[in-house]
Amino acid sequence: MSEPDVIKPEMMRSYIWLQTADGSIQQVEQEVAIFCPLICHEIHAGMGSSKTYPISLPARVNPVTLSLILDYCRFHQVPGRSNKERKSFDEKFIRMDTNRLCELTSAADSLQLKPLVDLTSRALARMIEGKTPEEIRETFHIPDDLTEEEKLEPLKNITDDPRIRLLNRLYARKRKELKEKEKLKNVEVEAEHVDDRSVDELLSFINGENGDSKEVKTAKNKKKNRRRKDQQKNAPVCTISNSSSSLNNSTKASNGISLVGHDDRVKDHCLPNINELLKLQDSEDDRFGLEDEFDDCDIGDGIDPEIKEQIDREVEDFARRLNSDWPERVQELLSLGQERRPSLYTVNGNGCSARRPSSTGLEKHEK
Amino acid sequence: MENIRIQWHTCLMAEAIQLIVYTSFEGKRDTMHMEFPFGEDYISNLPQSIIETILTKLPLRDAVRTSILSSKWRYKWATLTQLEFDDKCVYGTHDRTLAESNLVKFVSRFLFLHDGPIHRFALSTAYLQSSPDVDQWLLFLSRKDVKELILELGEGEWFRAPSCLFSFRKLVRLDLVRCELDPPSSFKGFPFLKHLNLQQVLIAPDVVESLISSCPLLESLTLSYFDSLELNIRAPNLKYLILEGEFKDICLENTPMLVAISVAMYMTDDIAEHFGQISSCNFDKFLGGAPALQRLIGHIYFTKYMSIGNTLGKTQMTYQHLKFIELYQVSFEDMKEIMVVLRLILNAPNLQELQISGSSNSSSAMEAPDFDFWEKECPCDCTLEQLKTVKMTDMSGVPHEMGFIEFLLGCSPALETMSITPSVYVTDGRLNLLIELLRFRRASAEAEIIFVQDQV
Repeated sequence: MSEPDVIKPEMMRSYIWLQTADGSIQQVEQEVAIFCPLICHEIHAGMGSSKTYPISLPARVNPVTLSLILDYCRFHQVPGRSNKERKSFDEKFIRMDTNRLCELTSAADSLQLKPLVDLTSRALARMIEGKTPEEIRETFHIPDDLTEEEKLEPLKNITDDPRIRLLNRLYARKRKELKEKEKLKNVEVEAEHVDDRSVDELLSFINGENGDSKEVKTAKNKKKNRRRKDQQKNAPVCTISNSSSSLNNSTKASNGISLVGHDDRVKDHCLPNINELLKLQDSEDDRFGLEDEFDDCDIGDGIDPEIKEQIDREVEDFARRLNSDWPERVQELLSLGQERRPSLYTVNGNGCSARRPSSTGLEKHEK
Repeated sequence: MENIRIQWHTCLMAEAIQLIVYTSFEGKRDTMHMEFPFGEDYISNLPQSIIETILTKLPLRDAVRTSILSSKWRYKWATLTQLEFDDKCVYGTHDRTLAESNLVKFVSRFLFLHDGPIHRFALSTAYLQSSPDVDQWLLFLSRKDVKELILELGEGEWFRAPSCLFSFRKLVRLDLVRCELDPPSSFKGFPFLKHLNLQQVLIAPDVVESLISSCPLLESLTLSYFDSLELNIRAPNLKYLILEGEFKDICLENTPMLVAISVAMYMTDDIAEHFGQISSCNFDKFLGGAPALQRLIGHIYFTKYMSIGNTLGKTQMTYQHLKFIELYQVSFEDMKEIMVVLRLILNAPNLQELQISGSSNSSSAMEAPDFDFWEKECPCDCTLEQLKTVKMTDMSGVPHEMGFIEFLLGCSPALETMSITPSVYVTDGRLNLLIELLRFRRASAEAEIIFVQDQV
């Protein structure tokens, strides 16, 4: 709170009203206040001329620091002072607690009072220069929260190279391991991009069948069973598979949920499975042990009606689930798939077990 | 995986500061962790701009040391934009190669861990000389839009500036000491360069000229310790010019904004010979292109240089803004040099301060050949309206010096202080000097004549 020292009626000073963040309002001589650029701007914008419209100061300025700042401004805004006078005022001015000094720096910065920021920063820099970390921490109450290894005390052996080399080696080894893991996963991902079947082919395949969403199970036995069941209706798919023999990649398919889909998004999900089953056709992969079934692929045309109904149901169910979070769905489907596998899983010669839901239905959901 | 990375990164950082914090940690392991209640930390939560202001006011070594204070402080230093490296960044050691390699490691690791733009890079070292590391740092910096580059490397083999130096497009200030500059032919200049300071730089003369003229915004030019330079300076925005070295010829062709000049010319025999052959007027060539001049400082041999050539028949330019003239080693035995000084003074109507130091040999000049000049030819009707301060140093008491002082005293109605310091070689003649001084008429009633004795 700064009362003007003496009110000389003949001087007719004008006053500015300032409000700090805690709500308290005070009155300051205008020439003192405009030393702060921020306040100056506010005055030009018309604020602060009366008690009802005080200038709101930034939050970092509390009443104590405001009075310090105003003392500083009051001294320095007088033009007639010599450099020596100003310097000695500054020296005395910054003698205060560290805490207060930091608050003052922050407040001066928010008021854009650059000379004061420089002055206080220099004082703080002097407190840091040449001191040990412990001393600095004590001065500023900085918590010592680095772990021992982070601090890395200098070792007795100054030769740093061996340590760096060791870390390099460990790093490289870890990286290699990671890469291998990635490769396993990437196989599937890469396969996605290679699909260049024409949309027509897929369409015909899709429309020609009521595809089921399927799951690839690592348990090959169960798959085998499923496939055998659905072999019949996979006939049309075989033709497609022939034309898409390009989709041969090495396989190490891990779990994946896929849909055969018309829509791209669904396609991405589906294709891995398609592809991988395609690959499986050609690969020697015994996990799926599909070759036998594929060879025996019955290129028939008919679809068992009751299975068809079942498939439709499954499709709609799945389509609903498609809209929610995919990874969680994966879990759910995987667990669900245990029971539903027989109907879901259709495998044909090329593994395109497209239990294709009515394309329109899915597409609606997709959109 | 993450752990390894953190350790690796920390390791790098720790390597960087290892040398720095080494002695402070030695034997002073802080086993007692300071427990401060949350929120009591005074400083770590200040805005980054303030932290950077504080760190900028610290020597670079101390700024990097703050990374060890706490987890928040780990990388506060890494976004500093003003980097000043010098020999204090590494511990002094008598082993020069060790010091050099420590400095190289420090700078390299610092740059590696640094994050963000760099506005100023200053390297000033006596240990490090030309080295491929410096070339690499310059290449790194050329991609960082550096605005100020200061390089001062050690004596010995001068650093040969790599071509990436010329691709610092945003450069505003360039200071180079002891290096070789050889710009590629495709170099078109630094478009934003305002301050150029070349000291002991090996560079072809025409390259210097084209360098100067290809920097359109150049405001301040300093060339020091050049050999036998003939220079035409074309710099439309040039304000401050500092030249020091052996100059055969300086011509300010296009420098309309020039405000301050400081010239020190060293004389060698063949330059003196060269001077004998010049016919054109040096004064006009040099100061003819600087009508806006405010301050002129001419060190040794400047007046001699300016005195060469004929000025007859040419109209003399008036320097309306010239307020401050400082001339050193003016030989008052040479009439021509005196004429140069007079010409300067008489063409500077707003001159306020004049400092002249003499260089006469008192024993030889007791009888001055043209002493009647002061009575007959010297324009006594002129007044130096604004001249307030005159300082004459190294006065030997030769007749022309006294004549000059008398002239000044008589023509300066606004004079406030005239301070005269006799040369240290003059021991007996001081009294005579004083006696003569007393006699002179003063145009200004307020003039104080201060005779400085035994100036320490």
